[in-house]
Amino acid sequence: MSPVLTIAGVTIREAVRRKLLLAFLAVTAAMVALSAWGFDRLARTRSITGDEVHLALPQSFILFMFMFSFVLALSASTIGSPAVSWEIESGVLLTLVTRPVRRAQILLGKWLGLAVLLALYDAAVCALEVAVVKAVSGFLPPDPLLVAVYLFAEGCLLLTVALLLSTRMSVIAAGVVAVALFGASWLAGVVGALGQSFNIGALRAVGQVGRYVLPSDGLWHGAIYYLEPQTFIGQHFLEVHAGDPFFAQSAPSWAYLVWVGIWFLAVLGAGVASFERREL
Amino acid sequence: MSPARSAEPAQHGLGTPPGVPEPRPTPPAPAPSPAVYTAGLSKHFGSTVALRSLSITVERGEVFGFLGPNGAGKTTAVKVLLGLVRPTGGEGLVLGAPLGDRLARRRIGYLPELFRFQGLLSAAEVVRLHSKLLGLPKASWPAESSRVLRTVGLDRRADDRVATFSKGMQQRLGIAVALLGDPLLVVLDEPTSALDPVGRRDVREIIRALRAGGTTVFLNTHLLDEAEHICDRVAVIDRGSTVATGTLPELLGHHWSVRLKVTGLPDRWWAGADLPGSWSREEDWVRVRAIDPTLVPDVVARLVGRGGRVEAVVPENESLEARFLELLEGR
Repeated sequence: MSPVLTIAGVTIREAVRRKLLLAFLAVTAAMVALSAWGFDRLARTRSITGDEVHLALPQSFILFMFMFSFVLALSASTIGSPAVSWEIESGVLLTLVTRPVRRAQILLGKWLGLAVLLALYDAAVCALEVAVVKAVSGFLPPDPLLVAVYLFAEGCLLLTVALLLSTRMSVIAAGVVAVALFGASWLAGVVGALGQSFNIGALRAVGQVGRYVLPSDGLWHGAIYYLEPQTFIGQHFLEVHAGDPFFAQSAPSWAYLVWVGIWFLAVLGAGVASFERREL
Repeated sequence: MSPARSAEPAQHGLGTPPGVPEPRPTPPAPAPSPAVYTAGLSKHFGSTVALRSLSITVERGEVFGFLGPNGAGKTTAVKVLLGLVRPTGGEGLVLGAPLGDRLARRRIGYLPELFRFQGLLSAAEVVRLHSKLLGLPKASWPAESSRVLRTVGLDRRADDRVATFSKGMQQRLGIAVALLGDPLLVVLDEPTSALDPVGRRDVREIIRALRAGGTTVFLNTHLLDEAEHICDRVAVIDRGSTVATGTLPELLGHHWSVRLKVTGLPDRWWAGADLPGSWSREEDWVRVRAIDPTLVPDVVARLVGRGGRVEAVVPENESLEARFLELLEGR
């Protein structure tokens, strides 16, 4: 078995024994149960018209998924930041890196194991949430699979950043910086939306640049796009929601997705290079 | 001691078939490179000099003691040898390969000074993980796991999680993992630091067994009695550079002392006695200082030849410690 798969297997086994998956499942069950109750109330309410309910359901769903994307990003930072730094501090890595394996294989194995955990968490939440909301309210996003893929990509991106930081920083510092970068990226997106809304070029540029510097907000907007029903994309809606940070006018372009791929490989490569050069 | 194993393939004499000209005699296989060779190895951390100029040679199959006080640079030296940190200057080879060579690590077992295994794995799972990373054939894992765990006395705790182990048991597991895969070189960094007297004795036995099997042992320790009991040669390091290197008799030179209990010789004989080194007498006990240890049997023979009864010969246990302190204080 390849050392990458060996390390990934150990990473997953340790996470399972730390009851990480159990914690994920417990939080998921609570979130889905609460949202089921909320969507049920919203779908049955008589205080607003049926048209307004059809507008509120997707918007509420987008807000819920924004909360989940935040939890997923936070989880990615939390499991990624100790992956190398804690093992250096504790001495676990000393026993691994002196084996006839490349450090890159160890890092990629850890990344793979943690990414599998994130994928399971993401798939479980998206599948359950979509099924429950459909059952209680009848609303089904246009492409739930792509929503899950974009959210997973966003989580993986934060995981990769946290791993890179973990090769040089302490556990706490790496975690805090990764979360702060995620927050800064989202904030840049909000600033950009405001710039769009008030037609201020400088603020619009902040949003654009932010999506390239750390593409997590760009990926989140990809997820938003596939959560929006077709009625949202019309010209009237576009005029009303031009500055709404929870609205996506279009799907990410292929050029942008290629950039995200390059960005991702560059950060992962930087993590490998940093770990290779790290003195232990 | 068994002959040192070599990484080179063995030459098998299969004989010459009839009618085939006798081949020219095969030249003798080149002697294997030293297990460890360093020349002027140094390591600076900013303005701090951790290793000044380390030049040592560890031959294959010997137990080499690397001695020094705390903070002398011993662990840094080990980490440089294993490629965990990069040297600032100098050069070195381990098993004939450059420092940190990935393939050479296949034949090196390493017990770090400060380490931890994955606490949620069992001892057997830790051993299996390292067997995989070493690239051992899957079929050999169960037997190899049983062998190394039995060697360190953990075979009955194989299925227990490492988190439930005491520090001493984790140390034993670390030694077990270092023994995996029939290593040519085993580097032990303070292997007995967390062990009780029984554990220390066990480690000494393991090291002796390794030497008997031709494995080179690089023993990093500040415990002098440990080195005195098991090392073929030692190097003393202080403030990042080598202070002395050699076998124990070479290192101690004229600093050995021995006490002998002698009866049956009159006082007048003692008044004119001619013994090597400087000696003093107190009742039946004679202490001979600064004696070449190879001369002790001659002293005993001389005393017996003159009609004396030598009832005890006691080497002075503190002699290495005294020499060690003398080396460090003399710098």
